[in-house]
Amino acid sequence: MLTVSDLHAGYGLSEVLAGTSLEVKAGTVVALIGANGAGKTTTMRAISGMLRPTKGQVLLDGKPVQGLPASRIARLGLAHSPEGRKVFGPLSVEDNLLLGAFRRLPRFFGFHARAARDLDRVYELFPRLRERKKQDAGTLSGGEQQMLAIGRALMAQPKVMLLDEPSMGLAPVIVQEVFRTIRRLKQEGMTMLLVEQFAKQALGVADYAYVMERGRIAIEGKPADLRRDERMLAAYLG
Amino acid sequence: MWKRLLLIRGAELLMFAVLLALPLAVQNNYLLGLLTLLSIYGILLIGLDVTVGYLGQVNLAQAAFLGIGAYTAGLFVTKLGAGFLVSALAATAVATALGALLALPALRLEGPQFALATLSFTALNVTVLNEMEWLTGGAQGLSLSRPPLFGMSLSARGFYWLCMALFALVWLAMRNLLASQWGRAFEALRDSPIATDAMGVGTYRHKVAGFALGSALGGLAGALYAFNFQYLQPQAFVYELTVILLLGVVLGGRKSLWGAFVGATLVALLPNLLSNRTLFEFMSGAGFLFALFAAIRGLLRKTMRPFQAIAPVVATGVLVVGGLLVSNTEDWRKAIFALMLFSVVVGLPEGLMGFAAKFLSRLFRIPDPPPPAPSQLDGVLPPRRAMSGGPLLEIRDLKRHFGGVRALDGLSTTVREGHIHGLIGPNGSGKSTLVNVVSGLYTPSAGEVLLRGQPLPRGSLFETARTGVARTFQNLQLFTGMTALENIMVAMRGNYRRSRNLPLVLLGLGRTEEKQAQADALALLEFVGLGADWRTPAKDLTYGAQRFLEIARAVACKPAVLILDEPAAGLSHPDMRRQMEIIGRVHERGMTILLIEHHMDVVSELCNVVTVLDGGKVIAEGTPGEVKRHPKVIEAYLGEVEAGEAAAETPAPVPAT
Repeated sequence: MLTVSDLHAGYGLSEVLAGTSLEVKAGTVVALIGANGAGKTTTMRAISGMLRPTKGQVLLDGKPVQGLPASRIARLGLAHSPEGRKVFGPLSVEDNLLLGAFRRLPRFFGFHARAARDLDRVYELFPRLRERKKQDAGTLSGGEQQMLAIGRALMAQPKVMLLDEPSMGLAPVIVQEVFRTIRRLKQEGMTMLLVEQFAKQALGVADYAYVMERGRIAIEGKPADLRRDERMLAAYLG
Repeated sequence: MWKRLLLIRGAELLMFAVLLALPLAVQNNYLLGLLTLLSIYGILLIGLDVTVGYLGQVNLAQAAFLGIGAYTAGLFVTKLGAGFLVSALAATAVATALGALLALPALRLEGPQFALATLSFTALNVTVLNEMEWLTGGAQGLSLSRPPLFGMSLSARGFYWLCMALFALVWLAMRNLLASQWGRAFEALRDSPIATDAMGVGTYRHKVAGFALGSALGGLAGALYAFNFQYLQPQAFVYELTVILLLGVVLGGRKSLWGAFVGATLVALLPNLLSNRTLFEFMSGAGFLFALFAAIRGLLRKTMRPFQAIAPVVATGVLVVGGLLVSNTEDWRKAIFALMLFSVVVGLPEGLMGFAAKFLSRLFRIPDPPPPAPSQLDGVLPPRRAMSGGPLLEIRDLKRHFGGVRALDGLSTTVREGHIHGLIGPNGSGKSTLVNVVSGLYTPSAGEVLLRGQPLPRGSLFETARTGVARTFQNLQLFTGMTALENIMVAMRGNYRRSRNLPLVLLGLGRTEEKQAQADALALLEFVGLGADWRTPAKDLTYGAQRFLEIARAVACKPAVLILDEPAAGLSHPDMRRQMEIIGRVHERGMTILLIEHHMDVVSELCNVVTVLDGGKVIAEGTPGEVKRHPKVIEAYLGEVEAGEAAAETPAPVPAT
């Protein structure tokens, strides 16, 4: 579904990605873990077009998308839930969600019926968002904002979803809820690339995992194998 | 070291020597007039650059301060018969006072609102000069003769030397200022006003002082302007001049004395550029070729985006073609300024000097400054002394409501001296609000916070920081453009006594303090393991290093209480271990710490006492072991998994759960 090969990207003169390659098969969850500054977020940004890769290829459902503007890539079926959530603070929860489906919903006729159906699906997944649908997104707690960011990405009905650090700054009880949601989405067949600091939990939901070091993939494998890998144990699993 | 000084200072010395000697070599009145104007505009633009470059605000009032200075000097000469020195000083003083007066309300505004406030000031100023005919002569204008200096009348050449000498002095004073704690404060408040206040530096007062200083230079330039032209008209100080001055600063290069010099050359030459057809065609042609060259180079090397490369070529192309078509370029001057400003803003956002600096730094390799020698750590962060363990920070029945939401709903707790006091709770439980109220970012709705029995200032980050509360930020508030060392130096308020006094700084008397602060800051950097990165800009540090740096910066404030807002958020396992070790060592030296953190193992390992919040209230308080077993805490915060681990009393694995 998503194939990245030899991806190079950076900011200004400093190259952050030095040839990253990874693959996310349809219907699987792939975890991307690694130390701070290894290039996980940059990989996500380069895939989704927020950062223009300097070299390499990104195939989305077989079509090359590298170098396209982020809005085009999003329309082709890739949703990015960014690090730090980035919800539209002054807009209501419902408007945030509808913006996620902006390109997909009809402009005038039939908007309400279609929108209501899509919203229901997200609200069923996150009942808290239904309770707060009229509230400004900026006034939500961190956990609710994270759910909104995931919900907004889902509204686009993407082929692939990128989740960047969905657990950042959340209370343990909410982190557990986020991972329950990811498991549920996986059961429904969603394809996901997940960047996580909580390596243990990430390996718990993933079908396959990559570990980044200094802009490259250093280790990869099935979670069961990685859990036994000594380098992993020392550096990431504690 | 000497080579470095020679390279940097040599160029300045050479420039001023050539400028001062030029009238001796070339006897040309026209050239002398131009050079005089150059020095006057140089002073004016250095003043404008303080707000536009260093404070990062669009200031449209500099033409008004030029006018105020010019008219003040003019009136002192004509009505009071004052001499050169007195009238120039009066012009500077009046401009300073009016500048401060305008700055007080205007600098509470940001961005476009500030620009509009200064624009209205310019409009107001012209109206007042026009309407107060009994004093200013109104639209008729005001004629004056150049006053004598110490009883000696000044020749054109003498006046030029005086102007140039003043320009050199202003240049020198400004360089002293920018190399001091003041310059760093300007830099810092542009990067993060919140952090600047949280370090006790005072965003607002620095902005007002900076603006007043810029206005003072406008006033001084105004006096020289009056003595140069010897005839004043209100129409000379309208917004058109403002735009030209802005063009000068932007084209020359912001945040640069050399940039102001290049900009002043342009402003002085502009009238000639417009009236002299050949010169105009030559200059616009040169600009076009330069833009074309830069565009091709930028596109080939992929350092420029297509719009950025092509737009200036089109704009300068229109200038060249338009210049051939129109009969009188002066009628079109506003359109010409607009096209020039557009080309520069898009094509050379760093100005000519910014562009040249990159070029020159490749030609002459200016050697890096040698690292300072670090101080003894004990002098910077004293070792632990006897602690009473008594109450240090008391929070009493604190409330904060946002509309109908009770973010803090009558919260009380006490942080004891020498403790690491943990603060946990679900998202939205009021932790961040508590930190923001205690540190002064928010005003409490009710209740109070006492530090050593004294109430803390309410709703002022800056005042609270000065009282002894330092904090870090959940989402990092570093001064991103500054080096690691400079980030820490901004916070070293205690090191700077003399440097608080602006005139002393302008005279360059703060150097010894600067050396000591550097050494102390380096000691703190080494303390958090970033000694080797002292010259790295904060934005280029790894995420983990940025977190370590923020703690070092807060410690540099020498606070009584250090508040750490999620210091381990987003850190990977090795970085988190290192962060915990840093916090532990800060604590070992006797620092009292209030720690907000989600990673339970960080809290368990470090904290003496943990307070658990939910719904703006304390639901549990005790040792980490006690709160982990508390049923309310398990329900609201930990969830089953964590609680299971806590019950099994496994040694805390990190990062994990």
